[in-house]
Amino acid sequence: MTSPLTARRATRIHPGQGARARGLIPYLLIAPAALVLGVVFAYPVASLVKESVSSPGLMGGTEHGLQNFAAVLPDPLFHSAVLNNLRLFLAVPVLTVVAVLLATLLFERVRGWRFYRSIIFLPYVLAVPVIGIVFSYILQRNGLLNEVLRNLHLSALTRDWLGDSGLAIWSVWAVIVWQQLGFGVVLFLARLSSIDLSLYEAAELDGAGWWQQFLHITVPYLAPVIEFFVTLSLINMLSWVFNYVFVMTGGGPVRSTYVLELLIYQKAFRDGLPNLAAALSMLVLAFAVVLLSVQSVLRRRIERMEG
Amino acid sequence: MNSIGASAALLGVAAAPGLLAACGGGGSTNAASDAGGELLVWYWGEQEAPGMKDFFEGAVDKYNQAGRDKAGDVRAVLQESDTLYTAFRTAAKAKKGPDVQYLWGGTQALEDVWMGNIAPLNDLLPQTWLDKVDKDARRETFWNGEQWGLPFYELNTAWAYNKKMFERANLDPENPPQQWDDFIAALTALKKSGVVPLGVGFKDAWLGGWLISYFGAQNFDSVDDALAPFRGDVEFSGEKYVGWLEPVKELIDRGFFNDDVLSLDLYQGEQLFEIQKAAITNSAQPQIVGFQRKLGTDTVGVMLSPAWGQGKLARFFPGASQVLTVTSFSPRKDRAAQFLQYLHEPAVMKAMYDASGAISPDTRFDPAWLNTDVDKQMAKLKPTLPSIWYQYYYPFPFERDGVTPGLQQLFQPQGSVKTAVDMMQQAIATWQREQPAQVDAYKKWTLLG
Repeated sequence: MTSPLTARRATRIHPGQGARARGLIPYLLIAPAALVLGVVFAYPVASLVKESVSSPGLMGGTEHGLQNFAAVLPDPLFHSAVLNNLRLFLAVPVLTVVAVLLATLLFERVRGWRFYRSIIFLPYVLAVPVIGIVFSYILQRNGLLNEVLRNLHLSALTRDWLGDSGLAIWSVWAVIVWQQLGFGVVLFLARLSSIDLSLYEAAELDGAGWWQQFLHITVPYLAPVIEFFVTLSLINMLSWVFNYVFVMTGGGPVRSTYVLELLIYQKAFRDGLPNLAAALSMLVLAFAVVLLSVQSVLRRRIERMEG
Repeated sequence: MNSIGASAALLGVAAAPGLLAACGGGGSTNAASDAGGELLVWYWGEQEAPGMKDFFEGAVDKYNQAGRDKAGDVRAVLQESDTLYTAFRTAAKAKKGPDVQYLWGGTQALEDVWMGNIAPLNDLLPQTWLDKVDKDARRETFWNGEQWGLPFYELNTAWAYNKKMFERANLDPENPPQQWDDFIAALTALKKSGVVPLGVGFKDAWLGGWLISYFGAQNFDSVDDALAPFRGDVEFSGEKYVGWLEPVKELIDRGFFNDDVLSLDLYQGEQLFEIQKAAITNSAQPQIVGFQRKLGTDTVGVMLSPAWGQGKLARFFPGASQVLTVTSFSPRKDRAAQFLQYLHEPAVMKAMYDASGAISPDTRFDPAWLNTDVDKQMAKLKPTLPSIWYQYYYPFPFERDGVTPGLQQLFQPQGSVKTAVDMMQQAIATWQREQPAQVDAYKKWTLLG
């Protein structure tokens, strides 16, 4: 039988031990989140690495090595897919510049700016498959766009937008820009709403015009958001364009719109080659990591500039 | 940030079992074969033979009500097109899922045999019973000396033509062209009369498999010629294998196709025929029956591919069948086989035809049951010609990565036969590099004689 006092004495913590225990508390607090992250991210990535260097052996069992990479790297379809992802990267500067300009115009509260903001943002909330299906009709050789051009006596401009192997990827590109623009505009507009308007007033007093204010106040103020948006958009163009391509072109015509995700999907689900799909996914992951590293470097530079 | 790619690959792991398991006897049937409980059937077909769902549900109800299976009831679940294969392969990986699985025919079923997902039927069904099933249909899923798929219904594929448009172009509506020169002359006359001679859609890629199947085997002397390049016996080159691209190019160059071929999906292309803008379209037999019901027998006729080639298969019957299989992981294989036999009972085959227009490739199917002109005409042609549907004998990546892009580029202004050939050869090389186990499976493929 122990008295409450004895029990308290017995559990008293030594001052040194207390410091150590207190030091552990942050780790304990983040442990659940770390566990979740481990299950959600670390385990799949580790499995992916394992699958990418394994393959079914010819005599049964499993072989390990870089044979999956050796199999996919010479594939012309892989080259074509990489090239198309790079082409889609070209949408990012266009998206960024147009979104910044539109956000700046809306920020100046032009007449009906709320309406324009909604119109610009609307495509972003639509489901990609719906957009894909609608645009595959609009862009048909005898579809709405060409019909309008013909009615405007601009028949010379009509094209088989999704059927011409030289044009199809650019048609997909244009649809992606149209849909993603709203996100950039809203993002930049949100940042602009926190800007100190006295900066513009002071610049005006100093005789700065619209363009100078834009270049020397708006753009620097938006820099961290631009950096975030550019990185996010690049990663989107790398690993988030499957829906557009799958619905609008299926990779055709003549393999001209293949992207890495579509190739991964086909290897994994249609050809029953999960190891090759894993190898391709590793390459995409490596590319994404490089982009994130560049973003990290840029962020530090911007922070130094701001600091 | 690479979540989609990573997830795709990881899910793919679940979707693809080892190929060589099948070669090593993954389809063993000596497991406890009479386990009780529900017999699960995953089927498909409503999409191409409307009425199949009603038939299947009715047939299963009758089977259950009659107590045909003492060990338990049958439950049939209709599958979606997009998930027919992925869902099955995921189930096969977990070794838990359907006892009977519907698959598209030929290599599209054998792929799962090679993955070890399917059990051979020879140990489950008496040979005398199997012999009553159409031999040409059985050949499509006969591999390594065993029958793996039970032909379920025919999906013969031909050309629908508009008799009235033929008449207006001064062509004989009851005698469509059978030889290439006559075909070109007919298309020229149709074009001159102001209609689109050939209405097709190629945006969704499926037309590639149809065109090679219509024209690609015409220099073959036997079905075995189709397998030879994939076994590695011969190069996929020369007049025998790539000669068909010239006639196809001729059709394109002469402007016989609709101008928006690459803008339209397969079924949108066929609709050009349905709305009477195009005189001829590629179509499966049940769809041609549908056209005939809608437009009338005096308007819609059916014709086979005209012969351009010199092989024994220059004039051929485009016979193809979808199949039902017994899964390798089923603990109820004998019960599954019993249900398959039930589906081939005359009364059940007739009920399927009446409900969906799907014809069982079975000698017990009475031709007197046929009730449409198209079906009667095709049934009359069938015994007179050798049967082959080329698509069922090559590996699918060859079509997707070689045939389809090769043909699509022929429709481009700068398209060339040489580039098409290069693409097809490249696709075979990639397939050989990536799928050595399938190459091995092809080497073991001896056709049913």
